[in-house]
Amino acid sequence: MPIDIDDYRDVWVFVEQHEGEAAPVSWELLSKGRELADETGESLVALVMGDGVSHLADEAVARGADHALLADDPVFEPYRADPYGEQFRALVEARKPSIVLIGGTHTGRDFAGRVAVPAHAGLTADCTELAVDDEGLLLASRPTFGGDAMATIKCPSHRPQMATVRAGVFDASEATKDDVDAAAAVEEVDVVVTEEDTLSTVIERVVSDVVDITDADVVVAGGAGAEGNFEPIVELADALGGEVAASRAAVDEGWVEPARQVGQTGKTVRPHLYIAAGISGAVQHLEGMNDSDYVVAINTDPNAAIFEHADYGIVGDLHEVLPKLTAMIREKQEVVV
Amino acid sequence: MNDGWNIVVCVKQVPDADDVTIDPDTGTLNRSDAPAVLNRPDHNAVESALALREAVGGTVTAITMGPPPAKAVLQTAVGAGADGGVLLTDRAFGGSDTWPTSLALARAAEELDADVVICGEESTDSSTGQVPPGIAAHNGWSQLTYVESLEPRPDEDVLVGKRDVEGGYERVAAKLPVVVAMEFGANRPRPAGLHRKIFAETEFEPVEWTASDLGIEDRVGLANSPTKVGGMDTASPVERERERVDTVDDLYEHIMEVL
Ligand SMILES: Cc1cc2nc3c(=O)[nH]c(=O)nc-3n(C[C@H](O)[C@H](O)[C@H](O)COP(=O)(O)OP(=O)(O)OC[C@H]3O[C@@H](n4cnc5c(N)ncnc54)[C@H](O)[C@@H]3O)c2cc1C
Ligand SMILES: Nc1ncnc2c1ncn2[C@@H]1O[C@H](COP(=O)(O)O)[C@@H](O)[C@H]1O
Repeated sequence: MPIDIDDYRDVWVFVEQHEGEAAPVSWELLSKGRELADETGESLVALVMGDGVSHLADEAVARGADHALLADDPVFEPYRADPYGEQFRALVEARKPSIVLIGGTHTGRDFAGRVAVPAHAGLTADCTELAVDDEGLLLASRPTFGGDAMATIKCPSHRPQMATVRAGVFDASEATKDDVDAAAAVEEVDVVVTEEDTLSTVIERVVSDVVDITDADVVVAGGAGAEGNFEPIVELADALGGEVAASRAAVDEGWVEPARQVGQTGKTVRPHLYIAAGISGAVQHLEGMNDSDYVVAINTDPNAAIFEHADYGIVGDLHEVLPKLTAMIREKQEVVV
Repeated sequence: MNDGWNIVVCVKQVPDADDVTIDPDTGTLNRSDAPAVLNRPDHNAVESALALREAVGGTVTAITMGPPPAKAVLQTAVGAGADGGVLLTDRAFGGSDTWPTSLALARAAEELDADVVICGEESTDSSTGQVPPGIAAHNGWSQLTYVESLEPRPDEDVLVGKRDVEGGYERVAAKLPVVVAMEFGANRPRPAGLHRKIFAETEFEPVEWTASDLGIEDRVGLANSPTKVGGMDTASPVERERERVDTVDDLYEHIMEVL
């Protein structure tokens, strides 16, 4: 069923929120979406879904969206794939956006397909670069297998052009417009899903404050080499005023919370200094930290791959090296104070 | 429903990721002729399927879409304990992105009258994680992704999944039929039993279905894939000093310099 792609215009950004609080990636996408919309000469539209979330629609406008669409109903809290997908799909089919950006979080990657499949839209997963070409076609790029190359994905003859986008790769937009004029730019849309239509029920939700390691200037990461004792890593991070992070192996062991995982299926971090202790340097890990300015590696194995991707490396036991390093840093700080 | 659930597990053949490293000088892959293996996260899918069968009864059928040699991953699944396997193979499938791939798997799951379809978190070669929600969307079924563990409620025709979400977890009850994507590393896959493995390698033959067997010959392949690879750039290799230091003092000095 060929479609007329000229019928489709505007850049949409999905504002992910949980319990009324926006996920940081939402504002990152809004600032990137602003750039793309300015280039194509189209409007930037924020889509907000939830229960009692009109403040986020206002905030999206304050942060640069030309309009915000608000679907406000108890059926959207907490998040579930089927009502989100159904509502989003109905809006896409009725209003025909050209580009749709969704955060590459578990939530975004859970429901994006429920929009893209019925719309027969192109959906690119987990992008790290976005641009538009001369004809306004979205160029969505992502690392391919192992992260050695960037593949650029286009969607020439289907619409919308959808992408889920990694958290932490773009800078968030600031609130620049005052919210006096915000309300006028917000449109409340019809809610097309009802509780009776839903296929799933959230029976329990246990979330605590989510740490955000993506903004840290210094990240100290530990891996399987920590052997259950993360204290040296926590202490060094503390001394350097940085954040604790981990490889997937350390997260799977339960030593560190999942929000601190770096890598392909974790976070992308770009700190000034990344210290990898007891991490072997698997490609899936490197993908999440390769853009750090400086990388320091501590590993007992002189042949560990991480040394090839580090600026400074030391062969040694992290349980000895890190405490010494921490003591030296703290000593220096006391002298300064 | 006392006769258990029809459990379908989706398995994919991929190049062996363990044999792949990045050459730090050129930034290209050293793939060392990586052999084709079962996608690592799909081992967790197979394990959950077998555990679910133990809990509720029924059958486990492995399906894969791929060229004929992909039969090998069905043998791996049958060796681990799956009851049977279906190979979706057809030239018409060539060049399929996640839209037609999930359509083919969705149609096959329908054909098998699936109650539960279990997938891996993502494939190591395309790593989209889009196929499981795609299967659910094509069939209008419920879905559970990033699942740490499953609790079946056969009396209610419901499957409860504990999902990993930012900052914690949630438990979601989904109506059957449901598509599940297990989190990579969610369980410890059991080793294949010797007899089962021999059976899988010598006697087992998969059922083969083509695109027309599934009635989707006009809806798959490159022509029906909305996304096209527009270009590949080698990511410029990150310049690193790669300097080895011998003492913690030296390491400390370097860290102070860069801070
Ligand atoms: C689909 C998929 C997605 C993935 N996503 C990610 C991801 O997002 N992030 C990620 O990190 N991984 C990811 N992985 C896993 C990845 O392949 C590796 O298995 C993982 O990164 C290994 O973690 P590690 O380096 O901590 O452990 P290991 O590889 O076991 O390495 C431990 C290292 O510690 C060293 N060591 C041991 N003892 C000490 C000591 N006392 N002092 C100092 N060094 C010591 C050892 O020499 C070794 O080099 C993914 C895999 C797949 C298949
Ligand atoms: N060709 C395929 N055949 C069977 N299962 C597949 C195929 N492609 C993807 N899958 C399933 O979908 C999951 C996610 O894959 P992907 O969306 O490609 O990252 C995999 O772990 C498999 O369970």
